[in-house]
Amino acid sequence: MIKKLICFSLFAFFTSSLFGSSGGGPLRVGMELSYPPFEMTDESGNPDGVSVEIARALGDYLDRPVEIINTPFQGLIPALRTGKIDLILSSMTRTEERARAIDFSDPYLTTGLTLLVNSESDIDSIEGIDSDSTLAVKQGTTGHLYAVRNLPDSNILVLEKESAAVLEVVQGKADVFIYDQMSVFKHWQRNQDTTRAILDPFRKEYWAIGLRKGDDKLRSEVNQFLIAFKEKGGFDELGTEYLSEQKKAFKEMGYPFIF
Amino acid sequence: MIDCRSILLRPTAAGSVVSYLGLFLGWLAALVLLAGFFSFAFFQLDYSWNWDGVWVYREKFLDGWITTLWISAVSLLLSVGIGFLVALGRSSRIYFVGSLSALYVELIRGTPFLVQILIFFYIVADGYGISNRYVVGILVLSVFAGAYIAEIFRAGFESVSSSQRESARAVGFTQSQTLRYVVLPQALRQSLPPLSGQFASLIKDSSLLSIIAVSELTLNAQEVNSFTFSAFESFLPLAIGYLILTLPVSMFSRYLEARLKHPS
Repeated sequence: MIKKLICFSLFAFFTSSLFGSSGGGPLRVGMELSYPPFEMTDESGNPDGVSVEIARALGDYLDRPVEIINTPFQGLIPALRTGKIDLILSSMTRTEERARAIDFSDPYLTTGLTLLVNSESDIDSIEGIDSDSTLAVKQGTTGHLYAVRNLPDSNILVLEKESAAVLEVVQGKADVFIYDQMSVFKHWQRNQDTTRAILDPFRKEYWAIGLRKGDDKLRSEVNQFLIAFKEKGGFDELGTEYLSEQKKAFKEMGYPFIF
Repeated sequence: MIDCRSILLRPTAAGSVVSYLGLFLGWLAALVLLAGFFSFAFFQLDYSWNWDGVWVYREKFLDGWITTLWISAVSLLLSVGIGFLVALGRSSRIYFVGSLSALYVELIRGTPFLVQILIFFYIVADGYGISNRYVVGILVLSVFAGAYIAEIFRAGFESVSSSQRESARAVGFTQSQTLRYVVLPQALRQSLPPLSGQFASLIKDSSLLSIIAVSELTLNAQEVNSFTFSAFESFLPLAIGYLILTLPVSMFSRYLEARLKHPS
């Protein structure tokens, strides 16, 4: 009997130390490292990008070591809710649906949904999409949600990879790819013979840091950090370092820059 | 008074009666053990379940399941055909046919399925003007599974000793008669157990077609997950959906095995 009890308590101890969430340890930041230049890896495989720099600055501000945990975008909210990570910093748009599952910080970036169009298609705005149109979307993104909700009659292709969605438009298998402004700009630049970009956002979006519901202490700390980081010019520096090309192009086209 | 040993243990002597009570209790104990193992883990989990949110999308699950069902069924038939021809091709006397079959098997088995799907759909099918992603999906899945099935059949053919073929020739069988009445019945019996495992793999591998936006069960479950942010509530029905397809396949093959068994 005693043997059994010892066995059980040992088991319980191990499981709780394995899965229990820690309070004062490293700040575990979840992101999907496949969205350059925001979340990516450098040549030697280390996390790099705008969001990684923001996470490190946040760690300095809170005086806590930062641990970047590479998680597929789909898995970020479940990971946060089960305590595997402390916050999400992964170019995540603040939406009503997500706000039901998690809390958000104040927004730190403004962008919007735009269209990458096959050059042979005559679509020139979101209103031009009808039931004959084929849309490519990346699974789980706000573009996906927008298409399912507002354009349910058109043929929606749901793809796991951004690159596959672009390929669908380049090869003319899809008429448009609904995605965010900066990525559409980037893909149009690489495929100027086969695509057009409609860069005026038909819907504005705000990126924010995701936090566990009720984790108000960390949320107010994060919000204070965002204000301080902006005042210090941190966002401007990151824009110049990682997005100089976009910054210049957006200025020429008369769109406001994201930060 | 029931004998304890007859309930706990399978009879050793051939032909003696199996205790149905023992069989039933054995299954029950195994299920309770598994349920207990997982229940403990689930009770440890601090997670607010959201089944209502997922229930709204039940039709999406059903649509995906039906797509998975017919894609798997068509691919299963096609892949058996491909596998059979390639297995014959590997033992062909024509050098070219033998090399082509060997090349096919090694190339397909040696490269990731994901890469094959992407190359076939975006390069090969695009080049040859096939634009229907469901047709391409079925073809790629059949070609992929066909390579494994060819090897299973080849092993089956080789299990029939050459002395049997020679004996068949000696009693005046033609080549096709030897194949039909001597080699095939034995080869098929040898191939059945690995074949049923391969069929279950094929059904599960169809989930990878989601990468080219084939709207099958896995893709639909992932979509529901992205709408509801409820990973477990979306993926547990996914697992059950695949079990409903794979269990009958393995049960049917068990039945065939029993039917084809030599009355020894």
